[in-house]
Amino acid sequence: MIARFSPLLALGLALLGAPAPAQETAAVIAIPPLTTPEEKSTGAGSPAAVAWQASQLIASDLRTTAELVPVGPNQKDYYSFPEVTAPTFSRWRTQGAKFVLTGFVRSRPDGRLTVGCYVYDVTSGRELGRTGFVVAPDEWRRAAHKCSGLAYTAATGAPGIFDTRIAYVAESGPANARVKRIAVMDGDGNNQSFVTAGETTVLTPRLAPKAGTVAFVSFAGGQPHVQVADLGSGQQRALVPDAAMSFAPRFSPDGQRILFSMQTGANTDVYVASASGGGVERLTTSPGVDTDASFSPDGKQIVFESDRSGTQQLYVMNADGTGQRRMSFGGGWYAAPVWSPDGTSIAFARRMPGAGSRVGVIKADGTGEKLLTNGPFDEGPSWAASSRELIFQRAGPDGRPALYRITLAGGEARRVATPQDGSDPDWSGALD
Amino acid sequence: MRRTILFAACCLFASVASAQLPGLRRRAPTPPVPVLVGIDALRADFIAQTGTDKVYFGGDSSVLTPQAKATLGAQAQWLRRHPEVVVRVEGHTDPSDTRDHALAVGARRAAEVRDYLVLMGVPVAQLSTLSWGKERVAVMGSSPDALALNRRAVIVLVR
Repeated sequence: MIARFSPLLALGLALLGAPAPAQETAAVIAIPPLTTPEEKSTGAGSPAAVAWQASQLIASDLRTTAELVPVGPNQKDYYSFPEVTAPTFSRWRTQGAKFVLTGFVRSRPDGRLTVGCYVYDVTSGRELGRTGFVVAPDEWRRAAHKCSGLAYTAATGAPGIFDTRIAYVAESGPANARVKRIAVMDGDGNNQSFVTAGETTVLTPRLAPKAGTVAFVSFAGGQPHVQVADLGSGQQRALVPDAAMSFAPRFSPDGQRILFSMQTGANTDVYVASASGGGVERLTTSPGVDTDASFSPDGKQIVFESDRSGTQQLYVMNADGTGQRRMSFGGGWYAAPVWSPDGTSIAFARRMPGAGSRVGVIKADGTGEKLLTNGPFDEGPSWAASSRELIFQRAGPDGRPALYRITLAGGEARRVATPQDGSDPDWSGALD
Repeated sequence: MRRTILFAACCLFASVASAQLPGLRRRAPTPPVPVLVGIDALRADFIAQTGTDKVYFGGDSSVLTPQAKATLGAQAQWLRRHPEVVVRVEGHTDPSDTRDHALAVGARRAAEVRDYLVLMGVPVAQLSTLSWGKERVAVMGSSPDALALNRRAVIVLVR
């Protein structure tokens, strides 16, 4: 969607030097205003205006993280264009900043904008990374999100979570007759759009890794079934036409396949199909309910939930369905497992008798289980691209759901604003 | 009391409709069964004759209780008397279940009910199933009573 810099400008995506180790406490990052070499116009869409808006958006992005505390932008910290790659570090040092992000916006003869960003370690004066993009004037937000991601990666070593999309179910109407629509928004809540019109009940949208496609469950036509919608063209089709009830879709890490559950008689098993349709393969055969399957990021393993033991528990199997083994052994019910993008952990919802439902994580080897939220109506976790944070659904006492974020490091869950009630969130990986 | 009112209402409807459309009057196979005048009257008669259009389940269970089997026995009898009626068995869970497991359990409950009705002699062609999971909450609240009233299968007369 947005073009990277030409090599001519000598900017690339590669990080220079090793990323700093993860911060136990939040580090201060100075965000002086992005600069521009041009002075002629400050009107809307001009490089100067975009530079100021982008600086504010970068600070706003980083403020949503647990790892970084942005300072700025302040007009008095304005750098000239040549100073972008040679910022003064002493003034940031005295202000307690650990990092500084500089950058620029300049117009191109073709009407597009070039946006460049640099992140420096204030203590050593070393450049930690740089990135740059050529974007249409109305796509400057994505470039700013990429700059935020650069800073986040420099500070944590984890992928940026800002140039991403979130799919969810937008809900309205009375509790016994909810109108549900599949909605998609940018990772910062901007750019809301609806995929379905609300004429039929829809559930569990799941984005393809680059968020070009969304799979979800629709009750259109009578039976719940997995639909696949192209977000560009808006075209929709059933994943498995004329099948029995199918649900719980989730894309493979390469986006080529979709895991889902299908019900035959009283039995529900995990299946996989080509994302473009066809190639349906059955992976489990136990007489219980096997559902909510999720690939490991290398595509070699699958975590899923099964009530074959009598209550819902988490199981892991090889991608071809062999080697099924139980990985959770706690009391209550474990559900909705999702493998983290970095492969180390699995997020889940756990219900306990009389204690409601909470969201937690467990290491991929089955050790180190940890509940992150307090419940009592939390479910449906989905990972941020950083693997350091989850988005999930929390219902209030009145049953109305909303979206929340929580970091693995702990702390309070924070509400993610949506125009209507929100449920079943799914957070994409970083976009290209 | 409720039964009587419903039955009276349906018979009133039946007589009015048949007065307007005498040519469509059909002979009922057994005396208490009202004249067939449309799906609403059939639904009312189904409730009046069998007591309820619902059966309830225990937590996380799709096992039919003795009470549920008694209800289904009466419903099966009614359905055998009305082979022209098509029904959809809709399975539901309480809202404490997780989204996707709820869909599977709702389907399992609907399938159990359908299979029992078939066992009781209802032709399988008369029956279809649908799971709503936890998407159609009947009773709000998270008290044990409210949850129990949501763990249900509903016999919906389609036509």
